[in-house]
Amino acid sequence: MDSKLTSTAYEECVAATASIVNPAVEQWCEGGGRVVGYFCSHVPTEVISAAGLMPFRMRGTGSDGTELSDAFFSSINCSFPRHTFNLALQGGYDFLDGLVCISSCDHVRRVYDNWKRNLQTPFLTIMSLPRKVEDAQVGWYHEEISILREALGKHFDVDISDEKLWDAIKLHNRTRRLQREIYQLRKGRTPVSGAETLAIMVAATAMPRSRYNTLLEEILVELRQREPRNGYRARLMVVGGELDDPSWIETIEEQGGLVVADSICFGSREMWADIDESLEDPVEAMAKYYIQDHPSCPRMYGDQPRRREYLMNMVREFDVDGVIGERLMFCDQWCVEHYMNKADFKEEGIPFLQLDREYISSGKGQLRTRIQAFLETMGK
Amino acid sequence: MLVGGCDIGSTTGKAVVLNEKSIVSQYIVSSTTRPEETARQAMDAALELAGIASIDDLAYVVGTGYGRTKVPFANENISEITCHGRGAHWLDPEVRTVVDIGGQDCKVVSIDSRGKTVEFVMNDRCAAGTGRFFEAMARVLDCGLEGISSLENQGPNPCTITNQCSVFAESEVVTLINEGTELPDLIAGINLSVANRLFSMVKRVGLVEKLALTGGCSKNQGLAKALEKKLGVEVTTLPEDPQVAGALGAALIAKERAAA
Repeated sequence: MDSKLTSTAYEECVAATASIVNPAVEQWCEGGGRVVGYFCSHVPTEVISAAGLMPFRMRGTGSDGTELSDAFFSSINCSFPRHTFNLALQGGYDFLDGLVCISSCDHVRRVYDNWKRNLQTPFLTIMSLPRKVEDAQVGWYHEEISILREALGKHFDVDISDEKLWDAIKLHNRTRRLQREIYQLRKGRTPVSGAETLAIMVAATAMPRSRYNTLLEEILVELRQREPRNGYRARLMVVGGELDDPSWIETIEEQGGLVVADSICFGSREMWADIDESLEDPVEAMAKYYIQDHPSCPRMYGDQPRRREYLMNMVREFDVDGVIGERLMFCDQWCVEHYMNKADFKEEGIPFLQLDREYISSGKGQLRTRIQAFLETMGK
Repeated sequence: MLVGGCDIGSTTGKAVVLNEKSIVSQYIVSSTTRPEETARQAMDAALELAGIASIDDLAYVVGTGYGRTKVPFANENISEITCHGRGAHWLDPEVRTVVDIGGQDCKVVSIDSRGKTVEFVMNDRCAAGTGRFFEAMARVLDCGLEGISSLENQGPNPCTITNQCSVFAESEVVTLINEGTELPDLIAGINLSVANRLFSMVKRVGLVEKLALTGGCSKNQGLAKALEKKLGVEVTTLPEDPQVAGALGAALIAKERAAA
């Protein structure tokens, strides 16, 4: 039987991931700190940090229904914005001083419209994220980031200088490097489960960044001394979008599939690349990172070959036996992508299982059946 | 040597007892609210039929189906996907595609020449294209499951049912009834709508002949006919009750384990 991670640093991450208003957020707010929520990995959170604000990635964790938000969404909207907006309507996001929405997908971008009409968060804006990843779009996003920088500075009455931006970029790059170190440990004899890793990854988006970096350092010390996981049947990789629930990964791991790698919003795509610290202009550096250097997500046009290469490299580097493609029901970004992934993995002889899920985990029995059958199919 | 397989589904529990060569006995019971109880009832009946005094006389038992972890006397549990593949393969070694339609889910399993699962797809958390759907339709049409199944009842002009959701499909059928659609065309339309759904699942794993139906709904002859027409291939008739294919597969795996 594998031991559990016991450090208080890890427990702090678990607590941050398991709820919205977690102890770290409470402490920050009690000390007079202000919090700005954001959707999607493409929001330049460095700008929020540079303004002395805490970026908080929007989730629907702990939501017990969507009856309030259902009045504002159609039946083909996915369950992530439904649950998240429902929580907001219940007052669960009243602690926010601001919210940065983004046109990441049509479901999420309409949260902005509903938010504007129904809630009174003091600062509210929406960014326009380009669909292509060429130089022209870097220019476009440079402008978007500049608009955000100015609006945040004006509303919160802070001068977001280049120096402050570089400090924030360095702080966030440090997070990325530390997180990558954890992922490096998952190659070969991995000392950390996929569920634990996801809890650690989500925590980054739900607490003050410098505090989080300190926790990561402590966790790395613990992981380096820890016995590798054993008793698993196969090494799996999870590919998909907005997955922030470690218990979903836990269900997979209870069936014997150790998740050792991923390409998900809260996972490797958050940190596989750094923002280039050698450029002159910090906004230029962020624009380039978020449009071109950040591992690609299916919302970006014409970039599937690069995503395929990313996945295939990941499979090789992490010695992956099989891949699980997850998708929230009604997610349009990931619907076609997984059919392409399936064909691509088949070509490479890598078993692939596609799973549709609801944002708040349900139907664990069906998930177990599929995972068990998948492992049996792999002869594991 | 005797071994057993026990498949606890959402609607029925199935037990199969095997010896070295063949099926000794098999039994199907309705599922109770307690999977342990369903498993006991099915297995006790199968043992009695075979004239076996005690479950202890079975060298190995494999549980499968939704209740697979709750079969009290099982040595091991294996997913029903793997078991249906194995069972169908034993019944006809030339089968490469298994369409299993149970009470609350349907799956398409692609198997190799040894009966090993290569790939599978399962319906997602919805009763469309499962036994529940047929039960609901039989209730609305007041014709019984036999009425839906019977080849004589398959009308020449199947009506179109587009809703993927069982509940909405039911409303659609009610509308068609009120518009005066003939019962046989309604029945044919219902079977066609499920065949269409299965068609896309089969296409997803890739159609390789022979194709066999297993699970409770494999007894629906109207559906088999609609699927044959849609896929353009013959649905293979299995030599044993295809409803026990899962329990049979479980028993075959049990035999392997006992011999190891």
